[in-house]
Amino acid sequence: MLRVSDAIKVDIWSDVQCPWCYIGKRKFEDGAAQFGGDVEVEYHSFELAPDTPVDFDGTPVDYLSQRKGMPVAQVEEMLERVTGIAKQVGLDYDYDHVHQTNTVKAHELLHFAKSRGLQLEMKERLLKAYFVDGRHVGRIEDLAELAAEIGLDRADVVAALEANTYLADVKADVAQAEAYGIQGVPFFVIDGKYGVSGAQEAAAFANVLEQARSERGAEVAQ
Amino acid sequence: MSDAPKTPLLIVGDPSAAACEGDFCAVPGQSEQALVNRQLDADLV
Repeated sequence: MLRVSDAIKVDIWSDVQCPWCYIGKRKFEDGAAQFGGDVEVEYHSFELAPDTPVDFDGTPVDYLSQRKGMPVAQVEEMLERVTGIAKQVGLDYDYDHVHQTNTVKAHELLHFAKSRGLQLEMKERLLKAYFVDGRHVGRIEDLAELAAEIGLDRADVVAALEANTYLADVKADVAQAEAYGIQGVPFFVIDGKYGVSGAQEAAAFANVLEQARSERGAEVAQ
Repeated sequence: MSDAPKTPLLIVGDPSAAACEGDFCAVPGQSEQALVNRQLDADLV
């Protein structure tokens, strides 16, 4: 039986080294606050560059210019603009110290954290670590350090990541994204019904959350 | 959410919002222009 008081479920596909995902996270949080109702958030894995080595030898500027054949000056200008947009939502991106890496272990850690009821805290810590703090988010020891900072057991994290305990969950998320037709992140699925792509303005998130709530109300009234 | 989706999603919001696809994260020049255009249409500029 449907109840109007039930939280609106929001499933978010995102990657740890996706600048729009962190910006979109802040805008979504703003939109959810404007909405004012109960929202249950669950993050899902999306690997933007699964073939990236854990210890990529270079900066994000090197990465983009090499991989995309873009002039360094153009990449620098692009990152400068992203940094400026991040600043508008209170995020101090520091691309001079970002460690481009492979994020599959970070995604496994997010699933581990979910199993311990700390996924939202882990997601925020990983994004901040990557974009703001200049921390490495690809190596198991570095991830265990970040996990310990939010209260997870370091030894348990290392054991789970070394054993690939949550790798199947990461791949299942990626497969589900493909089933939905998701090609880019961040991507938000509201109540299993509405899809919202990209770092939308807060009002867009508030509107769709309100729409989902009003439809639930209509279903209960029938 | 572990089952595969059974119904297609209804896509809402600004279709030109910034996102990362593949290993590339485009800067939303077009959406910024669209915002300016909407403001012009609404006589806000």
